Amino acid sequence: MTPMIDVVFLLIIFFLVSSHLSRQESQLELELPVAASSQEDMDQETPRLTVNVKPDGTLWLAGRPVDRQQLQQRFAEARDSKGENIEVRIRGSRSVPYSTVEPIMLACTSARIWNVTYAVYQEEQR
Amino acid sequence: MKRPSPLVQQGNQTDLDSAMTPMIDVVFLLLVFFVWTASFQMIEYVLPSEMSSQAGSAPVENPIEEPPKDFDDIVVRIDWDGQAPSYIVNEQTVASLKEVQQRLTAISELEIVTPVILHPEPVVPLGVVIEVYDSAKLSGFAEVSFAVNPQGL
Repeated sequence: MTPMIDVVFLLIIFFLVSSHLSRQESQLELELPVAASSQEDMDQETPRLTVNVKPDGTLWLAGRPVDRQQLQQRFAEARDSKGENIEVRIRGSRSVPYSTVEPIMLACTSARIWNVTYAVYQEEQR
Repeated sequence: MKRPSPLVQQGNQTDLDSAMTPMIDVVFLLLVFFVWTASFQMIEYVLPSEMSSQAGSAPVENPIEEPPKDFDDIVVRIDWDGQAPSYIVNEQTVASLKEVQQRLTAISELEIVTPVILHPEPVVPLGVVIEVYDSAKLSGFAEVSFAVNPQGL
């Protein structure tokens, strides 16, 4: 019985570690804005593009820095391949100026993506 | 040479127990480690925002005539002097975010269905913009949108 328990524990550890890593993969360490009216992220089905906005103002999509034109192109491609339901999540540092985030929203409307969300922290976690 | 433990000689049950103890030790250590590191991660929440086709520069093939509105949109302008934000609600200067929320709550209690449009200056930090957006949502307005400059892309 011991080898079996061994294997089971190994598997549990493997899944714990892999889920932990996959969650962290798309999450760049950022100081997000705070909003009390935010909701828990329950929707795992909708295809999603996450745009990270670093404090220095650079935009990152899928682990690579992108400029505004590339962003618009990537949004349009994603909308064509994944459908109009696609979500764009903006993970922006709270210190970046609005002019850095504005082009992301403009690129969304140009690509006809209407589902735009912001990643935030809730009030009590500040 | 491996010497049999005196415990092993007492029977199969003791053998199993003594063999499993270090493994359970390690597993508990790992579990504690993961629970501990997970507690350092702040949970992220989602703030949905509405995008309207009028906001962007996308061509609209069949523009729909909107019915005339009974009330004007509520425009909240946000400015930033480098240190602190200042707010203007419908061309009236408001001292603090708390007061902005009070005004918006008072308007929403009149059950007027009108959108709130946030018009931040380009230099305003995102954190401040989201705070005002949040206040407008908490005031009871269902439709809060951002004003964007089509030349910004």
